[in-house]
Amino acid sequence: MTKTINLTLKVWRQNGPKNKGRFDTYHAENISTDMSFLEMLDVVNDQLTIDGKEPIAFDHDCREGICGQCGCVVNGRPHGAEKGTTLCQLHMRHFDNGDTIAIEPFRAMAFNVIKDLAVDRSALDKIIQAGGYVSVNTGGAQDANAILVPQEVADLAMDAAQCIGCGACVASCPNASAMLFTSAKVSQLALLPQGKPEAAKRAINMVRTMDELGFGNCSNERECEAECPKEISITNIARLNREYFKAGFFS
Amino acid sequence: MNWITSTLGSSIGKKLLMAITGFSFCGFLAAHLAGNLTIYGGKDAFNGYAEHLHALGPLLTVAELVLLSFFLVHVITGLILYLQNLKARPVRYAVNKTAGGRTFGSATMPYTGALLLAFIVFHLLNFSFVDKTNTTIFNIVSSAFSSPVYVVIYILAMVVAAVHVSHGFWSTFQTVGANHPKYMPLIQTVGIAFAVVVGIGFGFLPIYIFLLA
Amino acid sequence: MALDAKIPGGPIAEKWDRHRFELKLVNPANKRKFNVIVVGTGLAGGSASATLAELGYNVKTFCIQDSPRRAHSIAAQGGINAAKNYPNDGDSIWRLFYDTVKGGDFRAREANVYRLAQVSNDIIDQCVAQGIPFARDYGGLLDNRSFGGAQVSRTFYARGQTGQQLLLGAYSALMRQVAAGKVQMFPRREMLDVVLVDGHAKGIVVRNMINGAVERHAADAVVLCTGGYGNVFFLSTNAMASNVTAAFRAYKKGAFFANPCFTQIHPTCIPVHGTFQSKLTLMSESLRNDGRVWVPKNPGDKRTPEQIPEADRDYYLENKYPSFGNLVPRDVASRNAKEQCDMGKGVGETGQAVYLDFADAIHRDGRDVIAKKYGNLFQMYEKITADDPYQTPMMIYPAIHYTMGGLWVDYNLMSNVPGLFVLGEANFSDHGANRLGASALMQGLADGYFVLPYTIGGYLAGTAKADVTTGHKAFDESEKQVTGRIDRLMSIDGKRTVDDFHKTLGRIMWEYCGMARNNEGLGMARGMIQELRAEFWENVRVPGNAADFNQSLERAGRVADFLEFGELMIVDALARQESCGGHFNERFETEEHEALRDDDNFCHAAAWEHSGDGREPEFHKEPLVFENVKLTQRSYK
Repeated sequence: MTKTINLTLKVWRQNGPKNKGRFDTYHAENISTDMSFLEMLDVVNDQLTIDGKEPIAFDHDCREGICGQCGCVVNGRPHGAEKGTTLCQLHMRHFDNGDTIAIEPFRAMAFNVIKDLAVDRSALDKIIQAGGYVSVNTGGAQDANAILVPQEVADLAMDAAQCIGCGACVASCPNASAMLFTSAKVSQLALLPQGKPEAAKRAINMVRTMDELGFGNCSNERECEAECPKEISITNIARLNREYFKAGFFS
Repeated sequence: MNWITSTLGSSIGKKLLMAITGFSFCGFLAAHLAGNLTIYGGKDAFNGYAEHLHALGPLLTVAELVLLSFFLVHVITGLILYLQNLKARPVRYAVNKTAGGRTFGSATMPYTGALLLAFIVFHLLNFSFVDKTNTTIFNIVSSAFSSPVYVVIYILAMVVAAVHVSHGFWSTFQTVGANHPKYMPLIQTVGIAFAVVVGIGFGFLPIYIFLLA
Repeated sequence: MALDAKIPGGPIAEKWDRHRFELKLVNPANKRKFNVIVVGTGLAGGSASATLAELGYNVKTFCIQDSPRRAHSIAAQGGINAAKNYPNDGDSIWRLFYDTVKGGDFRAREANVYRLAQVSNDIIDQCVAQGIPFARDYGGLLDNRSFGGAQVSRTFYARGQTGQQLLLGAYSALMRQVAAGKVQMFPRREMLDVVLVDGHAKGIVVRNMINGAVERHAADAVVLCTGGYGNVFFLSTNAMASNVTAAFRAYKKGAFFANPCFTQIHPTCIPVHGTFQSKLTLMSESLRNDGRVWVPKNPGDKRTPEQIPEADRDYYLENKYPSFGNLVPRDVASRNAKEQCDMGKGVGETGQAVYLDFADAIHRDGRDVIAKKYGNLFQMYEKITADDPYQTPMMIYPAIHYTMGGLWVDYNLMSNVPGLFVLGEANFSDHGANRLGASALMQGLADGYFVLPYTIGGYLAGTAKADVTTGHKAFDESEKQVTGRIDRLMSIDGKRTVDDFHKTLGRIMWEYCGMARNNEGLGMARGMIQELRAEFWENVRVPGNAADFNQSLERAGRVADFLEFGELMIVDALARQESCGGHFNERFETEEHEALRDDDNFCHAAAWEHSGDGREPEFHKEPLVFENVKLTQRSYK
């Protein structure tokens, strides 16, 4: 049933990448428990605007958990504490009246803060540019059914392909590593026959690029898997490791 | 050689180095523990084990050198990883909470590692680099463990080792890519069991000798 | 002025082939001398950018999100149609063409739709080659399902995330070209003007959303792939940043806007539940394959669904349309839901919802089968509503979803402004007055992968190359206009927030220009919008600084355009004195309450030309000629 709650927010405010940040405290009152977390922030921002203050900058777009643009760290948890949920799908019914909520941006050397809670995740695009594709030009593809893909393989590839590129894996990793993100794409394409011709080059180049961008090293902490809003498994990281060693030692 | 350094120098390569050297330490621990268990057979059995070991001569030296080089690789790579990982998040979170992925073992790896490093130096000074001309290894061990301080240090060190191994064991399999939903639960169970065996197996020895003396 | 769609001659099945032959080609060695600007990175923009770069053009691609992978195509759930006929159930290019024209209530251009059906098969081939993990059957072949009112199984899908997978395919092709240096990517840029030199589109002016800088970019052609305008209703299934600004700025520079009143209402969305709500979430239409739609037979029945016995339930779609049942097209399903709610039979706290019940399907196939098909959708529903659809029926209500109208384009996808191409949802061409399910993805990719790459060559090869730099005075003027508008928005310093205005506009549009319209309401709404617009420019408050990351300013610019565009929709809706597809004027309905077309007077695309602020837009007509399909009254009985 719908009810309303009052909350205290401690929000990270930072004017720009080079500025020092700080926590500011706001009160969010009469928040309907049917609201999403971002709708709650909308309400706070409306009030800030009316009060002549600057609203909190935060990234968001589709608000249905698929575009990957939203995401902040809520009480120490990227996208909040609900499992398999993006911030836009996190509803206020999971909070209690009187709660204090700390809201921080995703933090990593590779993710610069643009403003407040909005960060620059273009590093993830750069990892994809290093090989997260099958090199086929438009046109000239063979008939779609000429490639047989066993259902289990297609399912595994789809499990990995679900990644929304939100960066929660990096944000949650104690080492700020992008291994889950990288491994999801490498896995998807390594599993499918279409991706095999370039598998070795892809694994090496994507890992190298990931390292160069200043992400940390994976140390099998499994936080990424636990936080991933699409619940992507670290078996993909194991597959990336295999692909990488295969490529490094035998190709 | 370039392909080797570039393969092993990457984040995954370093992980592989940690995994392989670390896992060989698990093997070393198992062998060391098996040897140490002869102490329950009494003074002669234990001294006999030491003699047999030393009778291996150059083979033992080779093994020691391999162990030493693995040790150096493990420590240096670990240190590099620690520093790089620290740098990868220059501004820390104000609120830290786990989603349930980390374990006590995984979260403390660098710290248990550092403690183990200190302990190993201490341990070698106690039992390895000592004058053994007029005494036996059994005497050295029993005199050391007649002191409660030593006993406590050793027991604590073994707890630390067990914690370190609890993450290291399964982690090796994940790193080399051997993660399959069918087998991973078993590997994780074996890892924990091994950590417990190491902790209790080694940890009980000082107590036994202390009580014996 | 009669519009020339430049439809090639000859039989419909040969038009595209013939046209491709007749189009002039750009010599491979010359392609690198041409620069093309692509705005938007959804299915149309992503695929167009990648393909143009593969061909050798220099491409500059812009998007408003932080990464091209986030365009709202990503949210499409159900699938993509193609006439592969893999299931051997009687599909063909002709049938897909026919279904699309009929589904669009005969307000689409035949030749475009036929071409769309023709290239649909190439799309699937291309996407599979890219490594898109489509659903497979046990033998490893591609699986198909029937979708959104089609009587054949022609829909390819990747769980409930087909749009995501197709978009990531196009995105990966785009990233490959970025790595190759053929595409220069500009994320977090909002296009605020298109620049014309001697009547040709030669560049754009954008705002860098990180630091507020206004930037100029010149090229030999401009391709807009900026999506639809559903957010004029504030509440829609669109992403928060989806907007009409790019298309509307082009309209103001002389591009014609066609059929803006054709908006699609999606029947299966999670109902509205509060004024704070920022968007509506769609539940894939595939749910109607197994879910049964019903309401209580008696108005005002407040019992819980479990307490209502079979005899007191009205499965109104099954009763009214025995052969299509729950699978009638979107517009029909939506209007019927509204009709039931208007009769007081709506359910839920607001009375603005109907049930979509899976009890029978679960009973018939077992929970596991249903979970495999719809598990992620059920989970999503539960996440949002805290109700478990395995236990209790879902509640659904129609919501604004897609907009069939858009900038007018000819057969080459070029607007009436030479050099300005418009692709995907941003153009008007293929869906007529109503789009069938799983056709939007098909159209976006068809335009980007297989149509534009040919037709843009025809334009570039057939036009004298004029190298324009960003120093040209047309850029000066354009930038002046853009910064002037931004300054004006920043200086108002009023009392109401941007969202407040947007919500008010949305309510007006939904009430009077939504699922059902009438002349009186439309007339009234027009006045209300004019008043609201006037108030906006006196009383909006845009906090912060223009030379900064300023999301309020971004939204203010978009809402300002919506406030003008909404009026254009109403003008169009008033001009179209008939009902067809998504445009339902209550004066024009059959005895069975279906849309009643007037083919004698309105079998045309209405293209509107901007004739100055505060002046009536000028009407242009493109008559639609149906040579291959007989115009009939749609019936899904």
